[in-house]
Amino acid sequence: MADMSALESGSAAGSEEEMEVLTPAQLIRSLQQAWLNEKFSPELLESKSETVECVLEQLEHMEENLKRTKKGDLKVGIHCMEVERIRYMLNSYLRCRLRKIEKFFPHILEKEKSRAEGEPSTLSPEEFAFAKEYMANMETYMRSVALKHMPPNLQRVDLLNAVPKPNLDSFVFLRVKERQESILVEPETDEQREYVIDLEEGSQHLIRYKTIAPLVASGAVHLI
Amino acid sequence: MSEAYFPVGPGLGLEENFLSLGDILMSQEKLPCRAETALPRLAAVLGKGAAAGQGDCIPEGTKLEIPLWLAKGMYDTKRRMLSVDLPKIYRERWRTVFSADANVVDLHKMGPYYYGFGSQLLNFDSPENTEVAQTILQTFIGRFRRIMDSSQNAYNEDTSALVARLDELERALFQAGQKGLNDFQCWEKGQTCQITASSLVQNYRKRKFTDLDG
Amino acid sequence: MDPAEAEFLAEQELVTIIPNFSLDRIYLIGGDLGPFNPGLPVQVPLWLAMNLKQRQKCRIIPLEWMDVEKLEQIRDQERKEDTFTPMPSPYYMELTKLLLNYASENIPKADEIRTLVKETWDTRIAKLRLSADSFVRQQEAHARLDNLTLMEINTAGTFLTQALDHMYKLRTNLHSGESAQSQDF
Repeated sequence: MADMSALESGSAAGSEEEMEVLTPAQLIRSLQQAWLNEKFSPELLESKSETVECVLEQLEHMEENLKRTKKGDLKVGIHCMEVERIRYMLNSYLRCRLRKIEKFFPHILEKEKSRAEGEPSTLSPEEFAFAKEYMANMETYMRSVALKHMPPNLQRVDLLNAVPKPNLDSFVFLRVKERQESILVEPETDEQREYVIDLEEGSQHLIRYKTIAPLVASGAVHLI
Repeated sequence: MSEAYFPVGPGLGLEENFLSLGDILMSQEKLPCRAETALPRLAAVLGKGAAAGQGDCIPEGTKLEIPLWLAKGMYDTKRRMLSVDLPKIYRERWRTVFSADANVVDLHKMGPYYYGFGSQLLNFDSPENTEVAQTILQTFIGRFRRIMDSSQNAYNEDTSALVARLDELERALFQAGQKGLNDFQCWEKGQTCQITASSLVQNYRKRKFTDLDG
Repeated sequence: MDPAEAEFLAEQELVTIIPNFSLDRIYLIGGDLGPFNPGLPVQVPLWLAMNLKQRQKCRIIPLEWMDVEKLEQIRDQERKEDTFTPMPSPYYMELTKLLLNYASENIPKADEIRTLVKETWDTRIAKLRLSADSFVRQQEAHARLDNLTLMEINTAGTFLTQALDHMYKLRTNLHSGESAQSQDF
């Protein structure tokens, strides 16, 4: 367990370049944050594949070590429990993403298609393969149970139109991690005027996801 | 617990959600219309017996009751084959009732897709569209508190009386509130960690036993 | 989110235990724990404390706020204020349930504590409903909800956000109704 003094200093950095210097404890925290954000956001967030890989590495390393210890040791039991807890979080995170892929697959694939070169993908390579396969299976299924029995001019269904988009206008609860100034709140009705709010560190808010989506991505706010 | 099947919710706007069962049922609801031109060869399809001497033709001016999806398909502002009347629940007299006290209306009997169907009516340009849309929104706001309170207070009791007067959208909302409450109560009593047989398995067993009896 | 998942998060909170065994410092992925010496207090995450307690390997020291007098103050304050008052822990409900269920003999006046926490909870949930109703009625675009805890958000949150989503769509209809007429060409 290398540099534990780094544990106290600084917040858990989320950006990929800094991943190298994260302590294992910070790594677990950033997995937890990714998990919670993913659970509460209406759309599929950017894949944290690097965090996932690092956590897996840690778990495998630990499990490897545990194999070499003798059974029945109190210490081993405690390590096993911790490993189980981290695995739960990891699985729940990945499962939550798969569920969103199943729910929004045509839109997620469309976004992936139009992604500019160099721009990070929302999907991990495995998730991309899953989404493509899911789409293909869905199309085959629809054709075999319904569409092929229809008159020829009605045999096409545009899945992009048929499957609802993620609702970015939905409301979310959030806690502010880094103070933000001048967030523009759009009016709900014609009689209201738009106004500007500051998000104080540590404060909590209920607001439209669209308004703060970039802040979720940057890690400045956490969804709750 | 994660569920295997995620139903697609209603579109609640000008367009239905293609894969929403609720919307499919909603668009089957009948809408009062009037034929603005003679509609040849459609009497059988639209469920009207042919008038004497007209063959299979619907004469101009005939009053019709046709499903929403068909009305949407036939409606065309340029060719004007069809004009659409507002169902009475969306008309002015009822709008006044709603604005007085939205809570007294039995939306299940009058609906049961009051919000979804009402939103769809905006596809047909009636001069009253703005008022209709406004009433629907205000009705929802007006009934919100009662739905919230009843769904968050009723624990472990028969809720059929509580939802009897709710429209389908409100019922789904009521269920969401109940789920929040039930999940919490179960957790508080320490029941979440108990693994129970899936309802599918339980029903399967029941069926098997009755099969044996029979 | 499942209440069990909120509980999972609460289990990461640190509590003090008095172990009856010795064990060297232990290097977990999430940080170091120990060393453990019989009779000497040491801080561990609640998930470990509960496990050790169930195996009768430790005694759990009640959290500093699990005290009838303090909780009475908190409850009275909560009843007096219109806004949500700060709770002693963001997981006060989960911690109370876990500790009272698994280590009640280590906590003096457990039943009174349970009642006080429940009363505070009920007051807060009633407030939450009141603010949800006014949020909907005023058709607000933003609300500040400091001190609301995860478990509270979870019991009433799905209902509220779902209602707000419906409302948003119904409001969008107000405009699409008008534009549909002009877009007809």
